[in-house]
Amino acid sequence: MRRAPMPHIKEAGVNVTPLIDVVMVLIVFFMIVAKIGVTTGADPSIKLPETILGTDLKTLSNTLTLNVREGPADEPMVTALVDGSNRQAQEVKILDKLTNRHPLRELLQAARKDNPDFRVIIRGEKEMAYRFLEPVLETCVEANVKNVAFNTSKAVEQAQ
Amino acid sequence: MKIQGAKKVHYDSGPNMTPLVDVVMVILIFLMLAGSFAGADHFLVTQAAYSRTGAGGAPPPPGGIPQDEPLEIRVDSPTPDRFHARFGQVSIDNNPQQLATQLATMRDKLGDVPVIISPGRMVKYKFLIDVYQSALQAKFSKISFATAR
Repeated sequence: MRRAPMPHIKEAGVNVTPLIDVVMVLIVFFMIVAKIGVTTGADPSIKLPETILGTDLKTLSNTLTLNVREGPADEPMVTALVDGSNRQAQEVKILDKLTNRHPLRELLQAARKDNPDFRVIIRGEKEMAYRFLEPVLETCVEANVKNVAFNTSKAVEQAQ
Repeated sequence: MKIQGAKKVHYDSGPNMTPLVDVVMVILIFLMLAGSFAGADHFLVTQAAYSRTGAGGAPPPPGGIPQDEPLEIRVDSPTPDRFHARFGQVSIDNNPQQLATQLATMRDKLGDVPVIISPGRMVKYKFLIDVYQSALQAKFSKISFATAR
């Protein structure tokens, strides 16, 4: 009895399995590390002071970022992410002279109310004078916000 | 005469992976472009929860532990590009490293007392952060800024 010959098996082009393995690992890495659609309201145009020391905050979930820069009429210009759905930082006045209200204080008090771990992150323009920062710090005190962090950029160590 | 036909060739290619690779590559490129990663930012965190003045300021609770006498650092800016720091008998001109050294000496002497940075209104924020960092370098942990009120 004659046996049927085994069929010839040929490779069909390049083996893409290692490529898919690597690409899948990269995708999982980027999905874990990348913060897509997460915004803190930080204004990237603010030039932060540079420091060597500093810590990385593990989570920004209990925080409100205040962008502080010199404003008109000797008053600070404070912007923050007031409405999370808007995803755009809006100006928050310290004192609204029209209504005689304190929007920033009310915002901080509302955020602090049910959240004892609430923290304010201040992103201040490095060339700004202290007189612009002082009212913001006073407002934090008035709102009983105890945790304040100053956002800085890591100083690049120059090669000797 | 039997004519022998060409041998049948079987391609063991399995499922077609090309669409999968296309989709996966698109996802990869999207994540690389859209993702924002941990940048070069970090934070100077104040732990001055109870202080008479300053960013971490809040009055001590009734019956709370009385705080230590704070170390006050006065910061002025004689010219826009310089700062001048004073505390106790120490006076340092525009030198954060020297300030850190002097503060470390005070830290050894006084312990981890609260530090209150008391700046002039015209002092630039970057100089205040330098002073803040010097205090951190000196191992002080409770640092706050004085305010006018």
